[in-house]
Amino acid sequence: MSFIEFVEGPMFYAAAAIFVAAGLWRIIGILRIGKKPDLAPPRGSATAGWWKGNLRHFFPRGLFAERTWMHILGGYGFHLGLFVLLFFAAPHIAFVERFTGLSWPALPRWGFIIAAEIAFAGLIVLWVRRFSDPVMRQISDWDDHIGTWLTFLVMLTGCLALQESVVALRATHMLFVNIWLIYFPFSRLMHAFTVFLSRGATGASYGRKGMNP
Amino acid sequence: MRHILSFLAICLIVATGVPASAQDPVTQTRESIMERQRGLGLSGDYSLPSGQPPAPEAVQPGSVPQLGTRGYASDSDIWRALRDGSANATPSSSTAASQLMQVIGDDWRMIRHDYLIKYAGWVLLGVILLIALFYLIRGRIMIRGGRAGKTIPRFSMSHRIAHWFLASTFILMALSGLIILLGRPVLVKGLGEWLMVGQLGMDDSVVTTLKSVNGVLNSAALQGHNLFGPVFILSLLIVIVRFMKGNFFQKADFGWILKGGGLIGGHASSNHYNFGEKTWYWVVVLVGLMISVTGLFLLFPWLSDNLRFHQAATILHAIGALGMICFAMGHAYVGSVGMEGSLDSMLRGEVDVNWAKEHHDLWYEEVTGEKVSHDHDDTAATGAGTAEGTA
Repeated sequence: MSFIEFVEGPMFYAAAAIFVAAGLWRIIGILRIGKKPDLAPPRGSATAGWWKGNLRHFFPRGLFAERTWMHILGGYGFHLGLFVLLFFAAPHIAFVERFTGLSWPALPRWGFIIAAEIAFAGLIVLWVRRFSDPVMRQISDWDDHIGTWLTFLVMLTGCLALQESVVALRATHMLFVNIWLIYFPFSRLMHAFTVFLSRGATGASYGRKGMNP
Repeated sequence: MRHILSFLAICLIVATGVPASAQDPVTQTRESIMERQRGLGLSGDYSLPSGQPPAPEAVQPGSVPQLGTRGYASDSDIWRALRDGSANATPSSSTAASQLMQVIGDDWRMIRHDYLIKYAGWVLLGVILLIALFYLIRGRIMIRGGRAGKTIPRFSMSHRIAHWFLASTFILMALSGLIILLGRPVLVKGLGEWLMVGQLGMDDSVVTTLKSVNGVLNSAALQGHNLFGPVFILSLLIVIVRFMKGNFFQKADFGWILKGGGLIGGHASSNHYNFGEKTWYWVVVLVGLMISVTGLFLLFPWLSDNLRFHQAATILHAIGALGMICFAMGHAYVGSVGMEGSLDSMLRGEVDVNWAKEHHDLWYEEVTGEKVSHDHDDTAATGAGTAEGTA
């Protein structure tokens, strides 16, 4: 078995299984924690608060917008760019189709390149902020840095393999993808899924008290 | 009957099939041929002679026109005309009008191979050695009097993000660019052919392996370089705008130059940025913009169909990038291991008060309103100079 066959075969299956199983385990674990019964009479809707909590955090608060514009731009750039890369890059769709038979329209190459440029710029800005900002530096630990670097390496190796003519480069990309999938559920990368739970929980709690989340 | 036909055929050949030269109105004499061969009568240009070459129909089918011996357009004239484009011949698919053969590539290739690639690696190695030598001789430049323990803000968050954004993309661009430029000579020629095969006597197959490795690296580097190029330009523009304030040359810079940045002649005063920092800023601006523009023409070759321009772009791009890498190595050295306290300004945005007094006294006075005394700076003139940082 060649290296590419290994990383696209058994290793990928194992990594994907760990990603799904451990991810579900964490989400179910969070949901099972539940919350203490709130005996106070509700002054508003918890459900509305849940939605408000999720939606309002997509926009910066007026007071902070001026101070945080760079990392807001970086954050949106990175996350949207990564989303587009992940789901609309032709090689990725072809890969998914190989395993599931599912397919959807892919971005043209120039669109892929622009998405990658934006994602890279955003990720670099976010990482620089992490070690430059005194508060961010204090609250960041190895998990944050490893998650950032792994994501960067996955994106980088993917882009280095863009010529799609060198198997070794594709294999390197797949190796990092597998490592990333295995690391994901045990790290803060899980915020990709838990962000909606935490924002929603905070929003629901505030909403029930009749406050703006 | 057969004899009659043969006779008629001979007559026909004699009457119509005589060599075209014999009927050519521009008849060449032996003297004119010799004169031409001596280089006379060429009127200084090497274009095709005005005397038209024989029309194709005048040449017997299957025969090869001996143009050279006829003194018309010799082979060398034809090739010369094709080389300089005066032949007005062009391949239909070419973007270069009237240019069948592109020979300016010879000069470009010579500059690239015989100068650029040949010396680029040595220049980089030389700069690294110079920095190492400076470190060995001078050691780390410490803050005179040690750290005060009090800091003052020097760079805002946006300054730091802009700086590290450019630094990150520059490192990626530099590494991928060096692989593209020097991958083969270093990996295949130097490591493989010279060291492994030539010096260590290893099998030739190692060179083949290294060629494959170089191919993989080059494929990756090319994609990475093309991808990060626009991100580099974006980060460069942000830095240019964000750092412009304070980076215009001022009166104090002359004093800084005269005192060699503090290495000779005692303490060298400076504003927010000293002369070295300002020079580095303008190198980043000018060379950075130059490599950005030339890089865009390499990335989007359809922007111009002038081949000379593209060839110049590759050379200028490489020379500019090498220059920037050399400067950046010096900048990174002084900004980190070379000088105590420098890195704080870009990591934390704050610097120690004593560092500020020593290296940017005029800025410190401006910010704090406190006068800086240089009474104890005599040591600088006696060899323990400060070499004011360019961090």
